[in-house]
Amino acid sequence: MTAAAPILAARGVSKSFFGNEVLRDVTIELLPGRVHALLGENGAGKSTLINLLSGALRPDGGRIEVDGRPVASFNPAGARAAGVAVVQQELSLTGSLSIAENIGIGDFPRRRGLIDYRALARSTRAALDLVGLDEPLDRPVAELSLGRRQMVEIAKALHRRPRVLILDEPTSSLSSTEAGTLAALVARLSSEGLAILYISHRLNEVLAICDYVTVLKDGVRTADQPMQGVSGPGLVRLMVGRDPGDLFPSWTSDREHRPALSVEGFSAGAMRDVSVEIRRGEVFGIGGLVGQGQEDLLLGLYGAIPAKVRRAVVGDRPALPRSVPEANRLGMAYVPADRKREGLHLLHSIATNLMLPAFARWPALRLRDRAGERRTTRDLAAHFSIRGDLSRAAQALSGGNQQKVALAKWMPHDPSILLLNDPTRGVDVDTKREIYGMLRGFASEGKAVVLLSSDAQELVHVADRVLVVREGRVAALIDREDLREETIVAAAMGAERERVAT
Amino acid sequence: MTSPASPRLALPAALKSRPFLTFLVVALVWIVASSFSRGFGAYGHLRYLVELAAVLGLVAAGQTVVVIAGGIDLSVAALVTVSAVGLPLLSPAGDPTGAVAVLAIVAVTSAIGSVTGLGVAYLRVHPMIMTLAMATFLQGVLIIIAGGSAISAQNPLVHWLGNARPFGIPAAVLLWLFVATATLLILHMTPFGARVFAVGANPLAASLSGVPTAATTVAVYAFSGLTAGLTGVVVLGMNGQGYVGIGDPYLLASIAAVVLGGTSILGGRGTYAGTVPGALLLVTITALITVVNASPGWRNILFGTLILALLLLSGREGARR
Amino acid sequence: MTRAALAKSDGSLYWRIQARRMLGVRGLLLLVVGFILAYAALFPGLLTPSGFSKFTQSWFPLALVAMAQALLMLTGGISLAIGAIVSLGAVIAATTMSGALGVAGGTLAVLLAGLGVGVVTGLIVVKLRLPAIVVTLAGSFIIGGAALVILPRPGGSVPIWFSDLLAGDLPTAFAVLVAIVLLWKAYLATPLGLSLYAAGENPVGAYRSGVAVDTAQIAAYALSGMLCAGAGLFVAAQTGSGDPVIGASFTLNSIAAAVLGGVGFLGGRGTMRGALLGSLLLSLMISVMFFLGFTPVAQYVAQGLIIIGAVAIPEIRKVQR
Repeated sequence: MTAAAPILAARGVSKSFFGNEVLRDVTIELLPGRVHALLGENGAGKSTLINLLSGALRPDGGRIEVDGRPVASFNPAGARAAGVAVVQQELSLTGSLSIAENIGIGDFPRRRGLIDYRALARSTRAALDLVGLDEPLDRPVAELSLGRRQMVEIAKALHRRPRVLILDEPTSSLSSTEAGTLAALVARLSSEGLAILYISHRLNEVLAICDYVTVLKDGVRTADQPMQGVSGPGLVRLMVGRDPGDLFPSWTSDREHRPALSVEGFSAGAMRDVSVEIRRGEVFGIGGLVGQGQEDLLLGLYGAIPAKVRRAVVGDRPALPRSVPEANRLGMAYVPADRKREGLHLLHSIATNLMLPAFARWPALRLRDRAGERRTTRDLAAHFSIRGDLSRAAQALSGGNQQKVALAKWMPHDPSILLLNDPTRGVDVDTKREIYGMLRGFASEGKAVVLLSSDAQELVHVADRVLVVREGRVAALIDREDLREETIVAAAMGAERERVAT
Repeated sequence: MTSPASPRLALPAALKSRPFLTFLVVALVWIVASSFSRGFGAYGHLRYLVELAAVLGLVAAGQTVVVIAGGIDLSVAALVTVSAVGLPLLSPAGDPTGAVAVLAIVAVTSAIGSVTGLGVAYLRVHPMIMTLAMATFLQGVLIIIAGGSAISAQNPLVHWLGNARPFGIPAAVLLWLFVATATLLILHMTPFGARVFAVGANPLAASLSGVPTAATTVAVYAFSGLTAGLTGVVVLGMNGQGYVGIGDPYLLASIAAVVLGGTSILGGRGTYAGTVPGALLLVTITALITVVNASPGWRNILFGTLILALLLLSGREGARR
Repeated sequence: MTRAALAKSDGSLYWRIQARRMLGVRGLLLLVVGFILAYAALFPGLLTPSGFSKFTQSWFPLALVAMAQALLMLTGGISLAIGAIVSLGAVIAATTMSGALGVAGGTLAVLLAGLGVGVVTGLIVVKLRLPAIVVTLAGSFIIGGAALVILPRPGGSVPIWFSDLLAGDLPTAFAVLVAIVLLWKAYLATPLGLSLYAAGENPVGAYRSGVAVDTAQIAAYALSGMLCAGAGLFVAAQTGSGDPVIGASFTLNSIAAAVLGGVGFLGGRGTMRGALLGSLLLSLMISVMFFLGFTPVAQYVAQGLIIIGAVAIPEIRKVQR
């Protein structure tokens, strides 16, 4: 690598929101041909830095430089003109428009004022080839799986032939094949001279792909160095600021013989013909590639979507709940994956969010006991270490704390069956550790914990058994003895199913 | 802004709250208008304004709850008319006080509201469409029942509600006080109220948290039917007779009162405590425009412009959708 | 699909996208064709040139307001001022065309008024971030008031030759509608036109992608205003004079037609061809009921039920699957 000049750089930038300083004197340089990792826990200031680099926000102090020259007022249009393309976590796609229209939008080839669909077809096909998608261009994006949409989003960024590509958690919803394609693409693009900024919570990925790393902690740059010689624990140490210790709790089986929940011939949504018995005191993992029907399994058990079943026992009752309130009465609780859309009322206070399951169960017209509610919410917050004023809106919390609220709100009901949908997605390392500890804690109290996760490593370390789902069917049920990341991935990919099952 | 979890507002917060500010605007308008026109500030005139606001405030009570729950009720005008036209027809013999007829017609409008709610909750028809279709349907039924003629009521309770002034306070205002207190209690002091806010802010999250969203939705529209029915009774008492179209002015006015009071038209945020001054403000504006001697066209232009101006002054919805 | 087949299909991208859109409304299309066949079987007069002209004339204004409403709903907005703009268009046409401006000048005045109203509404909604429902509600008073100021009572006139041209025995209205649809297709093939969908469904993402979200939305309000005013002009030509409240029923019907056509309330969902088919369906239903001797009252009742049914049935089928 030659010591090329940076294409895009932020020098000594600071940014505050409502008096809170989220970035202080941060410098980052994006060089051509270098894959640059940006690491940090949630709330460390990564998104703000990305927004500064893409012109969506302006720094309070410091400056943004393009090709070594300071830019006076950097805005999204200016960033695009400078060749900066950003792939954010929240996709920018429009479901009702075709793949081609989505890729071209904002930058359509034109002929006499009209969109030149022929030219569009050529250029978007080229962009799709780069990310390895062979979909018909006229297909509406709404019909694609989440992983494919993510790839379309990346193709959209490449379509503008950027010089700087910023990828924010690009693999969060990708299958491992797609993630592999992306890794190869990143390597190829950087060899063609692109500057790439890569943000990810998956440290293995970062170690495999990136050449250089910048770490933020509490808005300050704590590391800025080449990747050579840095190990996984080393990265965590840089992010957390201390020794990582062990992310996962020590594993002891609390599994009892009494079943908490058993179904035979269960079907719901995309999920077909599941027979399984979940015991009290176990963490029952559900794995597989993203979007194979796992979520429908949880929702069907929870009574949130219609389910058919040959035989079912929940606790002592010989049937599945037909509605969510009924499931709650049977001692079931569900924590959704999408906190913002399904888990929380972002506009409402943290306290209200914590009380909502209680409001749902209490008699509708009983007068509320405000003092009692305050005690309950204070205790919950203390127990789950959710800090700060509980009358703030839930949207003020970081992702990890939001997840804790979504989990804590069920505790007053002492649920016996917890259905958790990817509870650590987009959660920082510290909170992850806390959540894993809680899960084992629940199991030791005799609760049944059903843990749906896209992270095979997490399943291996936390679960007693793992059910792997592929294309809406049970691909394997892996016992503790055989539980390794490779067995889960192999079953999820459908490779040599027999060997895994035996 | 009052949300279900800000139980005790500290004093400075209360002074900055939307309901208080709206009251302040009403008071200012009254003071300024009184200094320009002697008649405006007279006790009798102000009492009359409050009486008109009571009628609007009654319909707007149901509308507020529906809007907080994330819906909108475009059938309130039709329901007011159903009540005002239907009550005289529902007067059984052996009902000397008239209470049976009043209870019966309010039960009917609540039932109609429940049907609307069932459509919204279970058929998943968008509230705007469901309530519009219900209004269209009721309009047809009303014409069959009443034709073009006005129907007068010989009902003592209705007459009392429309005209009596116990302790010098109009009966309609007393009824309003009662309904307003009940609405505020339900919204902010019961689990049901908390469910209404939750359903309005995020129905999916609410249902996954165990909130019976469908039942809540039905109840909310039934409540709107109830308050619209009560409004019809009061309007009938004030007018002496009911006719098709008597409720029409209350559709847009009820929505305007809710929004002027600071309740988000998108649901999940708001309070009836804002709708009360919102109704007073709206009635005051209308009265002022009547004082200005203008043609109906100019009156409408003034009315619309003032509402728009007040909305601009009193805060924006933000970029939330 | 193989690479070669993909490459081949890429060449005809535009038409393949169009075909997909057609596929989205095929159920509705079948229903409308069925209705037309039934209607033609009942009243063979439909197939004569004058019968066809008369039918398309009864459809024309509804088609225009349905397009106007669908345009706004696609961008995530809505308008409750559609009827008022139709009235405004009608009174401007009736007061200018027989005067100095003549037919051409009058048409221009009508379209400019619609454009102006739309731009102002759009600016208020988009730039000041006020909720569209409330702004257009207040706007309906202002615009309706303006119509009343221009023409306080029904009156004015449209030159007879112009009435005959648009609403006589020639299918001029249909030809104009075809021209409008072609102009719409051209608009949707421009970057600004297409960004309407992105601005409605995912405004934040669209903005990040460099789409002029605000411009697309304001343009939608402007075009919508022009379409409504144009519908008003046509209504004036149909009746030969102007009426300041003639547009009232169009607000609700425009929403009903757009929703029947599968246009969603949340923005970005639905197609213009769907809205046109929805308006055609509504128009056919009204005509069929009229010819079958339904009283206006029964028409109200039936219309309410049909709209609920049309919106609810797909939802019920989805649940059953």
